[in-house]
Amino acid sequence: MTDFSVIGKPIAMIDAAGKTTGAGKYTDDLSVPGMLVGRILHSPYPHARIKRIDTSRAEKLEGVVAVAIGKDAPNTYGILPVGHDEHALALDKVRYVGDNVACVAAVDEATADRALELIDVEYEVLPAYFDPEESMKAETDLIHDNKPHNLEKDYHHVFGDPDKGFAEADCVAEARFVAGEVTHAAMEPHSTLASFEIDSQTGKPGRLIVWSSTQVPYYLQHKLSLVLDVPMAQIRVIKPLVGGGFGGKSEVIPLEIIAAIAARKARAPVKITYTREEVFWAHRGRPRTLIDLKTGVKRDGSITAVKARVMQDGGAYCSYGVVTILYSGALLGALYDIPNIQYDGYRVLTNKPACGAMRGHGTVNVRFAFESQLDELAARINLDPAEIRRRNLLKAPCVTVNGLRVQSYGLPECIEKTIERSGWRDRKGKLGKGRGLGIACSHYVSGAANSIIRSDMPHSTVNIKIDRDGGVVVYTGASEIGQGSDTMTAQIAAETLGCSLGRIRIVAADTDLTPIDIGSYSSRVTFMAGNATLRAAVEVKKQIASAAARKMGCTADDLVFRDDLVVRKKLAGESHAATLVSAAVPSEASVSERVEGQILRGSLQQKRKDEGPKDSMSFEEAVVAAIDFHGTLTGTGSYAPPAEARGGKHKGGGVGPSPAYSYSAQVAEVSVDEGTGEVTVHKVWAAHDCGRALNPVSVEGQIIGSVWMGMGQALTEEMVWKDGMLMNPGLLEYRSPSSVESPEVEPIIVESIDPEGPFGAKECSEGSLAATIPAIANAIFDAVGVRMHESPFTPERVLAALRAKKNAKPINLTDGVDPTNPARFREHGGSLWFKGKGPERHALDPSRLAAPLEAGGDD
Amino acid sequence: MSLPQFNLLRPRILEDALSLLAKHAGESPASTRVVAGGTDLIPSMRQKLFEPEYVVDVHHLAGLKEIRQTARGVEIGALASLTAIEQSALLRRRYPVLSEAAATVASPLLRNMGTIGGNICLDTRCLWYNQSPTWRKGCGFCIKKDGDLCHVAPGGTTCWAAFSGDTPPALLCLEAEVEIASASGTRRIPLSELYTGDGVAYRKLRPDELLTRVFLPESSADYRGVYRKLRVRGSIDYPLAGVAVVMKGSDGHIADARLAITAVNPAPLLVKGVSELLTGKAMDESLAAAAGDLAAKIARPLTTSALTPEYRREMIRVFAKRAVLAAAEN
Repeated sequence: MTDFSVIGKPIAMIDAAGKTTGAGKYTDDLSVPGMLVGRILHSPYPHARIKRIDTSRAEKLEGVVAVAIGKDAPNTYGILPVGHDEHALALDKVRYVGDNVACVAAVDEATADRALELIDVEYEVLPAYFDPEESMKAETDLIHDNKPHNLEKDYHHVFGDPDKGFAEADCVAEARFVAGEVTHAAMEPHSTLASFEIDSQTGKPGRLIVWSSTQVPYYLQHKLSLVLDVPMAQIRVIKPLVGGGFGGKSEVIPLEIIAAIAARKARAPVKITYTREEVFWAHRGRPRTLIDLKTGVKRDGSITAVKARVMQDGGAYCSYGVVTILYSGALLGALYDIPNIQYDGYRVLTNKPACGAMRGHGTVNVRFAFESQLDELAARINLDPAEIRRRNLLKAPCVTVNGLRVQSYGLPECIEKTIERSGWRDRKGKLGKGRGLGIACSHYVSGAANSIIRSDMPHSTVNIKIDRDGGVVVYTGASEIGQGSDTMTAQIAAETLGCSLGRIRIVAADTDLTPIDIGSYSSRVTFMAGNATLRAAVEVKKQIASAAARKMGCTADDLVFRDDLVVRKKLAGESHAATLVSAAVPSEASVSERVEGQILRGSLQQKRKDEGPKDSMSFEEAVVAAIDFHGTLTGTGSYAPPAEARGGKHKGGGVGPSPAYSYSAQVAEVSVDEGTGEVTVHKVWAAHDCGRALNPVSVEGQIIGSVWMGMGQALTEEMVWKDGMLMNPGLLEYRSPSSVESPEVEPIIVESIDPEGPFGAKECSEGSLAATIPAIANAIFDAVGVRMHESPFTPERVLAALRAKKNAKPINLTDGVDPTNPARFREHGGSLWFKGKGPERHALDPSRLAAPLEAGGDD
Repeated sequence: MSLPQFNLLRPRILEDALSLLAKHAGESPASTRVVAGGTDLIPSMRQKLFEPEYVVDVHHLAGLKEIRQTARGVEIGALASLTAIEQSALLRRRYPVLSEAAATVASPLLRNMGTIGGNICLDTRCLWYNQSPTWRKGCGFCIKKDGDLCHVAPGGTTCWAAFSGDTPPALLCLEAEVEIASASGTRRIPLSELYTGDGVAYRKLRPDELLTRVFLPESSADYRGVYRKLRVRGSIDYPLAGVAVVMKGSDGHIADARLAITAVNPAPLLVKGVSELLTGKAMDESLAAAAGDLAAKIARPLTTSALTPEYRREMIRVFAKRAVLAAAEN
């Protein structure tokens, strides 16, 4: 094992103190003089034309400064260049309950709230679409005029010869899976503060400064420029602390632009913080997905072909949808060796909040289906579920049939370690009635090899500056969103420069100060911004080394940088033990020495000039020597994925390729109450191949968090809809697991040392999530013998499956849909359904106008 | 979401509280609300379900927090926190079903704030009601607030919002009484008479009245007790169905038993016929199942919350059966 001093050590997040004491500032904590509060008026209808907006009554209310509407900024935008279909504030149409109609900027929240009630909007309600299969039949009243049949995008991929593959199979399984819609539920609601500086020359509003809870300051700067018609150079985006993103802040969210529009109109700074309900409406979560999956295997367990038809209920706007539907197909590859793949993906528009990117973007629901079906096939050919996975391993390094390059591949070790730690071989099938074990695997990209904005620019660039004080300032556009971006950057810079972590200052995610980085999503930061940091540090180190070598009368190659010392190689081994002790924990003495060193620097330098060559120098001395020669030290490093990793040339082939993939295997132990259908997860063993664990405690945190979030989707979390109304827009009714039902998670770190990752590192924050859902599904099967094909596995669904299996007295628990074979799509997912005709809607709703209220019957 | 504007009144003694209520409640029934722990009222006020002119904060009223033994039983001040109920050695020993039910309410933090009086007076809940004004406007409002439609029983004219307190079924089993005070005097009624069965006017409490004390009769002491709660999460959640059972045995036979259900009707209900069914018999599976059937018969869950009504009714059956068996084994 390589000997590092900072890398591979469990280090507390460098921003932990501020977050845990409350001293840290999130966007909503900020205020600037003269700041107004913005509140947004949302559409109460799922689909309607705006015939008229009258804001005059609201404007007259005492305390209201401005009311912004769509006409104030009519340009369209969207996160994808192919999906510019959003207006920050609706121009002529609203497309979901919660769509943005107007924004009031007022002196306080209560005044703004009151003013919202005074805005008169006349709507013409249009027929709305809630079911993607129905939506695709639409001929009229389209959600977007340029999208016939409400189809956002469809892709049809064939790799290899699937028909031949199925013909060769000894056993073929075919089924429909339905995965419910989930959302990120980050603790911090979105918040944006927008303020225009007064231009000193003209006295008019000049540059726009925006503080926002974003995962990608650069995209926000770009879209603000587009919508406001302001050059990007006139916009500064600053990301304060962010309380979790999970993808929900990876694209520009309406309030981020609305705050700027309102600030421009009000001629005063405006802050908007979403209520939790608004966070649910902004959404951009994981779409409800229908997966028709067919898999063929030979008797020995090897997969011969896979055919998947995937339909995603994408909501009213494109968002990341085109990327999501492509990921769903592309990441059928690169986990196992599958020679033949057919994929048909449909991203469909419906009158609901837009879905977007969420942890495990695009892969999670298809992985649930695939890993469940693989388990079924294993049972049918009488093979151990762990063994069937081992019979389909890739032979890395390789390029998959759909053009994905795999270099490091820790999946075999992940499987081995999970089955070893969980006692799989001895315990599987022997846990008694109602208790079982299930296994599943997953993988994820370490950043997308192709940026969503096509250009030749590097995906990450990092600058490093070191001045005479010996402090190392790293300027990075990478966004710390709680995942450890800043800590990772500091660790890589410290390790490379051989200095202590305390010397590193991170300046991050401020478009005035930091180079462009395409942000914190698709698990790209460690791999890409990490590599850029490494390269910038190497460049600076070269300058220091050449100056130090001159002083020490040796060559630069002869020097070792470590523990705040620059040492000649022959001595490095001897002095290592001593310096480790002194440098690991800076003592008070060494701190005062440093201070003294700065004060006396001039005289010390003079003194040292008089001395002869030395065998070692302190980091500071070496830095001063280099600065005397070069001036302030600066270095730039950037990263762009190599051409070989950028994937095939087929249409849509740009999504899926990554410079490296992470791998996971998990075993879940669950019990099922056969009288109630309640599922309890007792323990999850989760192995994750992250290349190299730069910070093991952080990697373990990410694994545990992924398992926990996956468990939420597996068992309790589901967005429930009725006629476009989100029935559970709050954390009381949208049930993320509480600590009570969170199982013990045993994280197991597997290090495959990727050849291109920084110090061999790959992603660790998303890949594990996708394995949890099928691991639980497979464990339910092991426990009670039912195959759940519809997630989440709520007690009513599990009980319905159990009763059907036992031929018990039928009770219609789930709207007549068999959760082991969900033929129908249901807007409300089944947990909310109505006998009879269902609820009446608002008086203006066309369905109510067509069929007047009938009296009688209260059930 | 901002709170609506209101005048906060903070009386220090009960008499002042009652006279403030008498003074302001007369102006209009919706003009005042009482707040104690605030765990129910504050979120609802943010959602503009209540926009009172006056909020009377009774949290600091003297003398209404005690749990004490009297000659006739145990008297509990309405301001006793749910944590206090959960942890009271006296209640755990003599009225265990109440402590067990209190321990399942929401989460530890909310139990520290929430009071027994508040849990008894808890507003009825419905997915179509406990929502923001914008949301409710989107569905055309409902009978319970601002509208004339019912979304869970389309075409219906009554409200089916579910009573979702955990402690009242336990209190019903214990034949608890409550003291209700107003400026014109106090009255004492059985808890079962407090609830109406209607989702809107769900309790018989005038705007000028305050629930001040809960009495547990000596005759209900020392019953074995079990509370079973259906919820998706092990914490935080309101009950989606709840069953409380108390039981007394002698010589392997059941001497007396009572069973009550919650969260599946607009009121918590004592299930009639349980005592007659069980008394004098030895407990077994089929007897327990029969008790479950009795409970399920009067459960009328509708789509007021998560999980389908059919499932929740079935769980009343399963939970009642299990609770009866558990109480017999205790």
